[in-house]
Amino acid sequence: MIDAAAIPWWTWPIALFVVSFAIGIVAVLAGVGGGVLFVPIVGSLFPFHVDFVRGAGLLFALAGTLSAGPPLLRGGMASLRLVMPLALVGSIASFAGALVGLALASEVVNTALGILIVGIAILIWRSRAADTPNVVADHLGALLRLEGEFRDPAAGMRIDWRTHRTLLGLAAFAAIGFIGGIFGLGAGFANVPALNLLMSAPLKVAVGSSGLLISVINSSAAWVYIHRGALLPLIAVPSILGVMLGSRIGARLLGSTPASVVRQLVIVVMLIAGLRSLAKGTGLWI
Amino acid sequence: MDLTRNERELRELYARWLDRATKAGFAVSLAAFLVYVSGLVAAFVPPADLPRYWALPVDRFIAATGAPQQWAWLPLLGYSDVLNLAAVALLALVTPACYARLLPTLLRQRDWLQLALACAQVLVLATAASGLLAGAG
Repeated sequence: MIDAAAIPWWTWPIALFVVSFAIGIVAVLAGVGGGVLFVPIVGSLFPFHVDFVRGAGLLFALAGTLSAGPPLLRGGMASLRLVMPLALVGSIASFAGALVGLALASEVVNTALGILIVGIAILIWRSRAADTPNVVADHLGALLRLEGEFRDPAAGMRIDWRTHRTLLGLAAFAAIGFIGGIFGLGAGFANVPALNLLMSAPLKVAVGSSGLLISVINSSAAWVYIHRGALLPLIAVPSILGVMLGSRIGARLLGSTPASVVRQLVIVVMLIAGLRSLAKGTGLWI
Repeated sequence: MDLTRNERELRELYARWLDRATKAGFAVSLAAFLVYVSGLVAAFVPPADLPRYWALPVDRFIAATGAPQQWAWLPLLGYSDVLNLAAVALLALVTPACYARLLPTLLRQRDWLQLALACAQVLVLATAASGLLAGAG
């Protein structure tokens, strides 16, 4: 075990920057905010209290998705029209969830989070994602015009898409936002399956739009942590700088990465993060 | 189906503002952080002292250091660590700023449903940023 007190203070921000840079690349490809990786990794390897790790993790996810947003939008893999109604519901729920989450014991939060993420990873693994779903839009989806197009360089073709089950999708994002606020991790861990499996958005659109959703939803919950004083700049800023650079690279890789690779990466990332949270929450691996 | 010209305009506008605001936030964060860790400007809690406190829960940390909550950090911007906190807070303002920039365009496009959604989102984020409902002491 490393003796944290024997290490000069300035080595921690450097280590945070390096770890955050690597997570930033993977997080964009996996369509998660990165907080779901950042919090268990930094929480277990660094000497900071979990309050500050959660605060930094939420801002970490926010910064990464803000940075990845422009290329995802311009590439057609993040749909503003799809994001706007879902983010509105999610950001309200996320704010409420952050207030609730700061009142819960960390063991309860970690255990529940681990179970949830592992469950979702298994769900994606067992299900078949359709990259070119041909669904009929429901009335609300048609009203909101939840449809679009993107050019998939990996497949070498233009893909038109539309979503359905809009009401269920809105309900899902209310639940996801609330749960994400509770865990202080952002809401990315469930965005991709909700968009892809429930609403039938193509996987790449789901991954890209998930990033944009996180940037909106986390902007709401982040203020709870900022106002509570749960942000230490020495932890948050190098993490943010690292993830912003890393996620830029991840966003560029997203367009040319085959959908099956993205899907496998989503599953692996979720399983690792989920099992880590579960082990931490149950005390098996503190 | 083809994306309409309006949708392309909105997408490009949002991406452009998001890009600029995020890069500005990145630059401000980096500059403020370098000032903080270099020791050029005094910090409210010096970085060399933080290892004594950063393992504490946030309530005990605040009790031990006197660090500010809510908007109490605004008058303390002369301290380099508080300036860093402000830089982080700027990042949380990027999204409402981008949404607010969409409003006149949506109004001109007479896209009333999207306009209502964008207005509601700005309102939600402004309420969150205000701290009125954050419940901090």
